[in-house]
Amino acid sequence: MTVHPINWHTAFFMLYAVVACTFGVAVVVSSNIVRMALYLIVSLGATAGLFFLAGADFVGAMQLFIYVGGTLVLLIFGVMLTAKGPFISMRTSGGDWIVAVLLSGCLMALLVPAAFSVASWRNERHAAVDAEPDDSDTAVLAAPRTVAAAHQPAATEEPPAPFIDDNGDGIPDVQPKTATALGLGLLGARVDAIDAKPEMRPGMSGYLLPFELISVHLLVVLIGAAYLARAKRRVR
Amino acid sequence: MSFFSQPVGVSHFLVVGAVLFVSGVVCMAVKRNALGVLMGIELVLNGANVNFVAFSSPFLRSDNAYALGLDGQLISLFVIVLAAAEAAVALAITLNFYNNHSTVDVDRADELKG
Amino acid sequence: MAPDASLPLLLGLAWLLPLASFALIVLVGPKMGKAGVLAAYVATGAILTSFVLSVIAFGIWHFGHLGYDRKTAETHVVAAAEDAHGSGEHAAGESEHAGADSHAAHGVPTAPPRVFTKDWYTLAQFGALKLSISYYIDSLTVLMFTMVSLIATLIHFYSFGYMHEELHEVVDHEVTLADGHHLHRRGRFYRFFQYLSLFCFSMLGLVIAGNVLMVFVFWELVGICSYFLIGFYIERKSAQNAANKAFIVNRVGDFGMIIGMMALWASLGTFAFGDIDGQQGIFSSVRPSANESQVTVPDGMVKFAATEHVAAGVEATPAQISTWRSEGYGYWLLVIAGVGIFCGCVGKSAQFPLHVWLPDAMEGPTPVSALVHSATMVAAGVYLAGRFYPVFAPEALLVIAYVGAITLLLAATIAITAVDIKRVLAYSTVSQLGYMMLALGVGGWAAGLFHLVTHAFFKSLLFMCSGSVIHAVHTNDMRRMGGLRHKMPWTAYTMLVGVLAIYGAAIPFVVGLSGYYSKDSIIAQALSFWNSNPTHGAFFAAAAIGGAGITAFYMFRLWFMTFAGEPRDHHAYEHAHESPKVMYVPLVILAFFAVTVGFPRLPFSVPKLLEQARYPGEFTAGKLLPDLVYPEEHLSHLPQFHNQAEVVVTFVALGGLVLAIAFYGLRILNPAEVKSQFSAVYRLLWNKWYFDELYDAIFVRPVLLISKLVGNFDRRFIDGFVDGLARWTRAVANFDDVIDRYLVDGSVNVVAAWTYSIADGLRGLQTGKLRQYVMLIVIGTVALTLLIRWSVAAG
Repeated sequence: MTVHPINWHTAFFMLYAVVACTFGVAVVVSSNIVRMALYLIVSLGATAGLFFLAGADFVGAMQLFIYVGGTLVLLIFGVMLTAKGPFISMRTSGGDWIVAVLLSGCLMALLVPAAFSVASWRNERHAAVDAEPDDSDTAVLAAPRTVAAAHQPAATEEPPAPFIDDNGDGIPDVQPKTATALGLGLLGARVDAIDAKPEMRPGMSGYLLPFELISVHLLVVLIGAAYLARAKRRVR
Repeated sequence: MSFFSQPVGVSHFLVVGAVLFVSGVVCMAVKRNALGVLMGIELVLNGANVNFVAFSSPFLRSDNAYALGLDGQLISLFVIVLAAAEAAVALAITLNFYNNHSTVDVDRADELKG
Repeated sequence: MAPDASLPLLLGLAWLLPLASFALIVLVGPKMGKAGVLAAYVATGAILTSFVLSVIAFGIWHFGHLGYDRKTAETHVVAAAEDAHGSGEHAAGESEHAGADSHAAHGVPTAPPRVFTKDWYTLAQFGALKLSISYYIDSLTVLMFTMVSLIATLIHFYSFGYMHEELHEVVDHEVTLADGHHLHRRGRFYRFFQYLSLFCFSMLGLVIAGNVLMVFVFWELVGICSYFLIGFYIERKSAQNAANKAFIVNRVGDFGMIIGMMALWASLGTFAFGDIDGQQGIFSSVRPSANESQVTVPDGMVKFAATEHVAAGVEATPAQISTWRSEGYGYWLLVIAGVGIFCGCVGKSAQFPLHVWLPDAMEGPTPVSALVHSATMVAAGVYLAGRFYPVFAPEALLVIAYVGAITLLLAATIAITAVDIKRVLAYSTVSQLGYMMLALGVGGWAAGLFHLVTHAFFKSLLFMCSGSVIHAVHTNDMRRMGGLRHKMPWTAYTMLVGVLAIYGAAIPFVVGLSGYYSKDSIIAQALSFWNSNPTHGAFFAAAAIGGAGITAFYMFRLWFMTFAGEPRDHHAYEHAHESPKVMYVPLVILAFFAVTVGFPRLPFSVPKLLEQARYPGEFTAGKLLPDLVYPEEHLSHLPQFHNQAEVVVTFVALGGLVLAIAFYGLRILNPAEVKSQFSAVYRLLWNKWYFDELYDAIFVRPVLLISKLVGNFDRRFIDGFVDGLARWTRAVANFDDVIDRYLVDGSVNVVAAWTYSIADGLRGLQTGKLRQYVMLIVIGTVALTLLIRWSVAAG
């Protein structure tokens, strides 16, 4: 058994994943609404960490800003506005719990195998032997997906790696700064897809229209929320 | 311990997303507090976001040409914004409901039953 | 203004004024003053104005024809009057007829026309059929206008007094209601005058009419007015019956009149009397001046009768037509046309056999009897016969004479026994109308119309006097009167004047009342006719002379029973009173005219005026009855006839008078004894020759029987059939109902029930529980995923 060096990327992933999952489950299990809110904050924060690990620095930042900083504060306001006593709890019957857990178990049983059903999603760089010749997905990946291999002339038909990895550790040498690209993408310019192959270009248009729609949507939502939440006690 | 030496892939993120998603669903299913239901929704949306980000990431898969690229991140941004909007509206609805019924128990909100 | 423009204008105005009054009263009658009293003023004003206009027209006519009179008519009328007094001989052949064409022979250049006729307004023209409002104005028209409007005016005034009861609530003692009380009703004062105005309009329209169609329209209008007025006391059963009887009996006559009109129009193609705008009228067709204005069968009638020859291909050249005419073609048609028109006159003038309605018509108010049923409307039959005189063939005239003679005797005999004062006068009217018809029928055109005028005055006088009596004693029964001359002298002595006038009182050969002149000329003409026609003439002469005697008897019987002797009903006598001035002043005026209207020596005497209207030409012998010869009317002025007539009539009438005095005046003879002695005759007369019973048996009962049969048939078969159809329809509808309810509704209901039960089942799913929905979503997701997986794996 060879001892491999710890891949810190993986290690941090495990940390964040465990935290996110554990506190997510804790939200479910807890019956105290304030604690639930706290657990949710932790879970969402861990998720933001996962985003950073996946290279989505801007999205992770937004996750922290909007979710943890905005939405949850809103929720806690809600808790404070609607709580009659300090710690009101509403018990759910045991039957509901059993049914919910059973169903969620079924759902998990569906989702987890699905997550591992595609070989390329697993990102196993040293598992060429695992490749199944009859799987179309894995057939594409028949050659070991090392960065060196990616530069070999034998694999000319393979698409070039989307990032520069001269030291071959599988981590880009220069971390992409996604904020600029995302901002331009929202304005309609896709700088990230400039050197994509022409057949990949169609569909990679910008997001100006959805952006505008979302902004108007937000405005409407805010007005609607203000209207709905206004005090009407005098009617009574 | 090869578990830590192996690079993580999309699948691992998907598993995390699934766990969050299922937690959210169960939360929605079992919480009688309307705010708990809202938290469940946040969890569900978050699970979905994890998936989007994972698919868009250039580091997590062997065939990067098939990654979503920035599209996934953009969509996850939209989801975050929508979740915030949804939270605002839902909170307003909840407050309204509370004003009318003096409670936030969703089991009491069955006036539209058939 | 020339007479041809002024006369139509004046008479047209006089004609239309009562119509305006009628329209006004119809529209606002009940609101005119208290209980509509102003309606009387409106109606009276209208007819008074008509009278004034008529008098002006009379004057225009008279002075327009003055010279004409002197040149031509004096040879005839004045001389004839002198003849009557035996002052000279006058050869018949020398005298000339008053006619426009014969007038020209005298070389007088400005002969005023005998007649003015023109269309006022053409209503419509369908091919040859021209419907127009036209006038035919000759001296007869003017005379009739003056007479009718004068009498109508007086009767309007008289009605002020007579109808005053109608001004307030009326209790009709002759109508007993189911609860035993007498009928109370609102007064109908204005309605009476409304009808009077309509009647005056219709009567004047009838007189001025210039074509047969217009005559017919107004003929029916006066008929309907008569119907309204007879039925004025509509609540009385007897009034209802009398009105219906009058109307229905008149329909019989009108049926004949329509036949006559059809015969005339179908063969002549025109309704107009005279020649209007160059188009030949009826008169000049029948009496063409080319044939010396003698009765000639018109070409149209000849062609009409010879249809078979025309159809066989013989061309109707003028020569051929005159051949046919000499063979007698079309003559029958002419006779039928004349008799048909006369049928209408029979109905309207209550001649035998249609005389039965007039006595019953006395149910109407007495002013109506005076105006409508003695002076004007019933005389319209005579007027029409006189107007159509040129069209009558000798055979038709013979029919008229027979009808008139029979009526004269029949009605006079019935009048002997009648005890209802108005019925005596009604039968007297029928009898006098018979006189007029007889006169026309024996060729006395002027005599008949002369009597029409004089009769109108004295008979309306008699009726109004009787009305005054009835007004005073509230009964019609002469047996309950008597001695009334002490109570109501004005009425009694004006009525005596009337009685004397109808009696024909005179100092023979010197002077007399109006009836004397007119009756004498009729009888003289009858004698003249007898002279030419021994076969028929004896009956006519006997009827005319005998009728004079009977008339004298029953008229004086009436007067004596009413006014002379001792009062028989003291209760009625005590309550009797003289009528108000507004009633007896018209009586005096009428009495004046009853005395003077027949006076022949005046420059505008009635006979002279009538001579101006006489249609030129002579009667030829009849074609069907070659023995029938009509003497010219002026021959009757020969002393041999005239003096004879005067003497005979004087004695016969005197005989009647003496008998009446013996029975009722001095009571030398007891009427009851005579009654029992001649009980069979008395019963015959009392029952009016059983005419009502006869008609009841011949017409009324069979009609009722037939209608009952038809009614039964209707009820049994037609109603049964219809009911059966209805029952069938109902059965089908019931069947349809079952199908509808169970099949159509059933299927729809089943679908609805299914929908409902499914929805009801599904509704349980919709719990409204949020958390449950989440569960269901999850279940759905899982199940869908599994399903896709399974299907992918399987497929």
